[in-house]
Amino acid sequence: MKKLRQEFADTMLEVGPQDSRLVVMVGDISHGILQPYAAACPGRYYNIGICEPTIVNMAAGLNKTGLIPVVHTIAPFITERAYEQIKLDFGYQMLSTNIISVGGAFDYAQLGCSHHCYTDVSLISHLKRGVVVLPGSPLEFNKLFKDIYANGLINYFRLPDQPHGVEFKPGEIQFGKGVRVREGKDATIAVIGTQLRNALAAADRLAGLGVSVEVLYFHTIKPFDSELLRASVMKTRKFLTVEELSAHDGLYNLCLRACVGINDVASGQIAIEDFVHGYGTYEELCGRVGMSSDGITRSILRLTANTA
Amino acid sequence: MTLNKDLRLRIAQMVKLSGEGHIPSSYSIVDLVEHLYGHVLRVDARNPRDPERDYFILSKGHGCGALYAVLHKYGFLSDQDIADYSTSSGILGGHPDMTTVPGAEASTGSLGHGFPTAVGTALGLRIQCRANRTFALLGDGECHEGTIWESANVAANLRLGNLCAVVDWNGSAAQLMPLDDLPAKWRAFGWEVHEIDGHSAEQMRATFAGLSFASEGRPKVVVARTVKGKGVSFTEGHGRWHHRVPTDEEMAALSQELQA
Repeated sequence: MKKLRQEFADTMLEVGPQDSRLVVMVGDISHGILQPYAAACPGRYYNIGICEPTIVNMAAGLNKTGLIPVVHTIAPFITERAYEQIKLDFGYQMLSTNIISVGGAFDYAQLGCSHHCYTDVSLISHLKRGVVVLPGSPLEFNKLFKDIYANGLINYFRLPDQPHGVEFKPGEIQFGKGVRVREGKDATIAVIGTQLRNALAAADRLAGLGVSVEVLYFHTIKPFDSELLRASVMKTRKFLTVEELSAHDGLYNLCLRACVGINDVASGQIAIEDFVHGYGTYEELCGRVGMSSDGITRSILRLTANTA
Repeated sequence: MTLNKDLRLRIAQMVKLSGEGHIPSSYSIVDLVEHLYGHVLRVDARNPRDPERDYFILSKGHGCGALYAVLHKYGFLSDQDIADYSTSSGILGGHPDMTTVPGAEASTGSLGHGFPTAVGTALGLRIQCRANRTFALLGDGECHEGTIWESANVAANLRLGNLCAVVDWNGSAAQLMPLDDLPAKWRAFGWEVHEIDGHSAEQMRATFAGLSFASEGRPKVVVARTVKGKGVSFTEGHGRWHHRVPTDEEMAALSQELQA
């Protein structure tokens, strides 16, 4: 499956020539793959340099003049380092931008915690006009970007390094709507991003153990498809979230809020509690916080055993 | 000679009435802001969002008393707006809110945001081949912020000839960082630097009238030597007046000096 970052470049090349308002600014990443866009849209591509707060401020200035900015760099630098710029320039001033990050959570697994980002989704979600999209396959990015990039809001897209591998049909991907990837009756797994792969593998293993799991996949976190989650939990009364996000404020919280008023719900969360020190592969770092098909399988078995 | 005594008095009245404001920070820039609106900027009070307008961003937002007084003088703000300064029924407060104040181009307050936004505005205008010019007024204390130098670097490399920064060099920065060589710093970043007295009508006129705004070229900075609190003997200089509201007696003395 094509990498999300390549799809980002391809989508800019598709949209840029059709919309002369689109301007892309990057913080010295993805420079090579954006050259076709830069050639097709002269004067609308800038590799600004290593100065993320300034890039965000500049995006506000571009938007003031009627342009639609797209800013792109590594997640912690654009969302955490430049959060005050995002908050004031686009939240307080009610301006609009598109922020496309890479390197959420553990994608830069060999580079240490400076390159991990656990809080980006939470930070953007605090803004009322914030929109958070976590596309896990090229089709999702292409469709969702085109659906919302000109909506006048603060759109945040976190691109994972590895796509989840599931080939959705275009009609299955609707902005703000989750996808029921697998039906089940004993427990619900709510999952985002690359972890869909582990969730489906766990669901297969659990089926062999006689546990029927429903898998819900959310490519849009804000707005959140509470109805899909609620309908599923009304049936299963048990849910587990798997999220490459801070445990403090992410998918689990959204699901809990969606379940308010449903009695006797048991729940669990696989998320990131603290800095994950050390180096290794993406899978190894995920494994340290229980994000593996084994970890998910065990969590579901605990959940179903406790509440059987 | 003190210029703009009427505007200085209005600023003090706003602060006195509301109990909030930075008088000296406004007094150091009020002559510059008045000169820009009166003689330089192409703006229209009847249509503050005119797409053809020049953009003026007050990056040192705490000097907004000067901006409000000037916007009032030129018809962007009403008498009632001024009377309601810093009250819940009004639109004006201790830092400007661009979503409510006609003529305010950025909601500044946190230092180091307005200037890089102006860099983006200048780039956006150039991308669209528009002839509008962008001005940003920043404080010398604000030049402690890293984003000022990030964006000074970016603007010079992008050759944003349609951009002009004005630095209020009132000596605030030097209190903490005595290596106060602002003109040399801006020159080193590749900017066209003009040094003036920011309270001299003649020097402001000569300098701003002589600037050229080609879409490609060195960005310009006017480093204006100013006096914090300029115009009233006891508000001049640094210290307790930075965020102080005048007592009745002080207000009477201030009015007397400005009406002399």
